[in-house]
Amino acid sequence: MDLLLERLVSGLTNGSVYALLALALVVVFRGSGTINFAQGELALFTTFVAWWLTTLGSPVWLAVLASIALGFVLGAGIERLLVRPVQRKNDTAVLIVALGLFTGLNALDALLFGTETKVMPSPFPNGLDDYVSLGGARLYGDALGVWVVLVVLVGLVSLLFRRTRVGLHMRAVADNPESAALAGVPTSRVLALGWGLSGAIGGLAGVLVTPLAPQQLSLTTMFTVFIAASAAALFGGLDSLGGAIVGGLVIGVLEALVTGYVPALGGAMQQTTVLVVIVLILLVRPTGLFGSRRLERV
Amino acid sequence: MSLLEVRGLRAGYGAADVLHGIDLTVDEGEVAVVLGANGAGKTTTMKALAGMLPRRGEVRLGGAELGTRPDRVVAAGMSLVPQGRGTLATLSVLDNLHVGAATRKDRKGIAEDVERWFDTFPVLRERSGQSAGLLSGGEQQMLAVARALMSRPQLLLCDEPSLGLAPIVVQGLFATLGAINAEQGTALLVVEQNAELALDLAHRVHLLEVGEVAATGTAEDFRRDDAVRRAYLGF
Repeated sequence: MDLLLERLVSGLTNGSVYALLALALVVVFRGSGTINFAQGELALFTTFVAWWLTTLGSPVWLAVLASIALGFVLGAGIERLLVRPVQRKNDTAVLIVALGLFTGLNALDALLFGTETKVMPSPFPNGLDDYVSLGGARLYGDALGVWVVLVVLVGLVSLLFRRTRVGLHMRAVADNPESAALAGVPTSRVLALGWGLSGAIGGLAGVLVTPLAPQQLSLTTMFTVFIAASAAALFGGLDSLGGAIVGGLVIGVLEALVTGYVPALGGAMQQTTVLVVIVLILLVRPTGLFGSRRLERV
Repeated sequence: MSLLEVRGLRAGYGAADVLHGIDLTVDEGEVAVVLGANGAGKTTTMKALAGMLPRRGEVRLGGAELGTRPDRVVAAGMSLVPQGRGTLATLSVLDNLHVGAATRKDRKGIAEDVERWFDTFPVLRERSGQSAGLLSGGEQQMLAVARALMSRPQLLLCDEPSLGLAPIVVQGLFATLGAINAEQGTALLVVEQNAELALDLAHRVHLLEVGEVAATGTAEDFRRDDAVRRAYLGF
């Protein structure tokens, strides 16, 4: 029983990080209709910068803020300088740009920070004694911190989309960019803002995940995280914030349970198993569990 | 001075020009109608004016050169109701109207205008919380007009508002457009295939032929002109 609780806790914690990154993917998808394949590597880059700042003596919270701010600037900059010029010509070209960024950013990390593994300090208390007991399971400070961040951020992002003007404009551009422009929405500013926002969320996810990740801060840290996060976003239907959250948590918990209880599939096959589950779900519901089916009368 | 002055407007898709130098004007509070056969360049004219296409030539609204960014055109006082209505299908009806007020900051005035267009189109009030994609074609056309009017334009462009609508719905819509022009003083520039209906509304008519304005006159001139009548009115 205790073991089950421990596994659930660790699954929910990893799942929260997947959910954060999935949220970033959804924000871009809703604005631009594309999956940003560079999302994970963008987060890794900002995390490397945060780590570098801590080595210079910066407090962790300041490094976290820097990672978020850098994520915003890079996200918005990528939209303006790399995505927008090619999007006008061809939507597929955006995917190619994102893939190019994916490999390019990873190579840049290696060039700037070297290939050896780093230890990124956690922004939350994560010593051996920093836990609260929860029915026999230990709930550590960093897990709790990640949960709280996820809840707060989801609240903020949904407020942004539901209650603010700029959120309304982002939804309008996602729905139909041409109509939004004709209605007077400054579409280019709105798109850059969406990419910036998602870059910032990614920057936050990066500094939260690396202290928890088995690889710590290395060039491969984000590969598995990003795969899980994009699966989470797909699972939720790509355009649903709630779906991304549920997707992330489900994948995190599934992974933890498969690893814990099905030794034959644990370890090497863990992620494969989870992805098979996702494929099965998408076979039944191609728009994901929460995706909006586009209804339109003509 | 005219509200809208267009001189030598050229535009097209890719390398080929569809418009070969359009000249037309719309006075303040006037209803101008653009007639023309399929392929004459009516929709291209509207798109070029609204900033949806690269263009050359002079386009002035109230004496000031209009840029080619759609949102700036709206801010300058000219809104387009696009062909096909451009419904923001996943947004609610009310949200659609609020998007139409994107260039405005006056919360109180925006709320008043929402009420005004809900009064004009009561069906939109009934369905204000529904996804706009669920509205019927006629309701979506009303929404498109109301959304464009939310920016409080001096000049409203309508591209084929009757397309795909039942005749009875079209008549109601044109009556409403006429009333908006009469009551709010909003000038209209309407592209329409249904020439008979459009001439009832028009103060001035521009006849477009293969990318050029072939004739300009009053609705009466056009009704009397045998050649035009046969070609566009069918009687």
